[in-house]
Amino acid sequence: MEPKDEAVMPPEEPLAEQLQKLLRAIELGGRAVLPSTNKELLQSIVNAAARIFGAAAAAILLVDEVEQMLVFHVEFGNKQPGLIGRRIPLNKGIAGYVAMTGQAIAVSNVQQDTRFNADFAKSTGYVPDSILAAPLLLGEQVIGVLEVLDKIEAASFGMHDMELMGLFAQQAALAICESQQLERIDNALRQGLRRLASDEGLPDSSALIAALEDGGRDGPDRDDLLLIAGAFNDISRLGPVERRAALKILAALAEVGRARTKPRSRFA
Amino acid sequence: MSEEELPPAWSEHFLPNVIRRLHPSAPLAHITPDIAWGGSTGRGVRVAVVDTGIEADHPVFSGNVSGGVIIELDEEAEDGYVAIPDNPPRDVAGHGTACAGIIHRIAPEAELFSVRVLGDNMRGRAVTFAAGLDWAINNGFQVINMSLSTSSENYQKLFYELADDAYFKNVVLVAAVNNIPAPSYPSTFSAVVSVAAHHERDPWTYYYNPTPPVEFGAAGIDIEVAWINKQYAVNTGNSFAAPHITGLVALILSKHPGLTPFQVKTMLMAGARNLRKEE
Repeated sequence: MEPKDEAVMPPEEPLAEQLQKLLRAIELGGRAVLPSTNKELLQSIVNAAARIFGAAAAAILLVDEVEQMLVFHVEFGNKQPGLIGRRIPLNKGIAGYVAMTGQAIAVSNVQQDTRFNADFAKSTGYVPDSILAAPLLLGEQVIGVLEVLDKIEAASFGMHDMELMGLFAQQAALAICESQQLERIDNALRQGLRRLASDEGLPDSSALIAALEDGGRDGPDRDDLLLIAGAFNDISRLGPVERRAALKILAALAEVGRARTKPRSRFA
Repeated sequence: MSEEELPPAWSEHFLPNVIRRLHPSAPLAHITPDIAWGGSTGRGVRVAVVDTGIEADHPVFSGNVSGGVIIELDEEAEDGYVAIPDNPPRDVAGHGTACAGIIHRIAPEAELFSVRVLGDNMRGRAVTFAAGLDWAINNGFQVINMSLSTSSENYQKLFYELADDAYFKNVVLVAAVNNIPAPSYPSTFSAVVSVAAHHERDPWTYYYNPTPPVEFGAAGIDIEVAWINKQYAVNTGNSFAAPHITGLVALILSKHPGLTPFQVKTMLMAGARNLRKEE
């Protein structure tokens, strides 16, 4: 880690400026790849999926491990309101099968059987003719299910659709995970900085580092952020001048954070 | 995942314009489908379906499902898992019923048995799957249908050992390859009969592919299958191709009891559409 530390923070630049640059680089790096919120990202995935697979509708359900449920997060093409936020048990229906088994499946002639997946139909008001559903996988772990409904120009989705969907879902899962991780890191960092700014004595960075470690997989961004967390802790021990420098960074970060969360004006 | 690691779309060898016409090797050229399974119903062959369960009272089975177990991991148990009797077996999702129904369509008198390894919780899927396979290998089944796979490299060795174990115990393993281009164990092992979907509808038409990664292509697109709640559905996937081959293996073993897995494979190969002698 030592050589990398020096590369990130050349000693001739003021510490505050370096940190500010680093934070902005992380922020911009994340934005270059990902939409600014997780929800926006999910929406772009279902929109793209519907288009790519020629489907009338599409949805993403994410796993709630604690409750053992699948939760509808975003959808495209469903005319009935109230689908978003609906929860279905992990052992129910096509999506449940995909989540439990980690296997993709294509089913058609669904409407032919009125009892087929009745819970799903009842909960959404949308009974599809054909479904193609694939797991959102991180390694062996299923984080959710991507499904496209009603192939527009055919009676059912074919093997080619399924194989393509598998690749698409892999990309989607990685992007979703990355986006969730960025959000978590963002929150953790802001929390840590708030504590640093408060006057309740020197904060111990261990809780912050734990929160960051909780963020999931290793990666260069996370390593950098762990570095920052440690650095802030060290700075706060140095003295009032250094602490003020750190507070400037806090202000800069808060500004970035506000820009991210503030709804954009249509004229902006 | 790097480019080198990305497996091919598993069914690509069975696209209509890719299937190769092969010539039977001389000493085996006389083996025809009729010799292999003509007149057989699968009677006397015990088939384990490692899956989400089987809805035993679905009318499609006309009473040929003999029983079932639910596999649960258990650290206290000697083998690390327990097999809880599930009689009559149930299906929690429909997938196992669909697969069992296809086997039954091909081999109507084969005995079907449910080994449920999926659908109860999300943790330890691959290990539970392996445990179910281990149980089936050691409980007197001649053929095991696995319309599932794991893509986790961590379990490659475990499944490899199980595939070898089955091979030397004369148990034929039939495995569907993953539906998506990702690693697919245990289907990639040569001791296993691996199956992907081809693009034809006839349940008796299948193809042999001599090059990796998938050996046989069988019907798997828009297949009418039995589903839970005594219903039917139309499904697509490699999952539904494998049971067609499992059914044929049951027919072969019923007609020629005691064949080894490699002898069964030889017969399967001889009966493949792109290899078979016209009768």
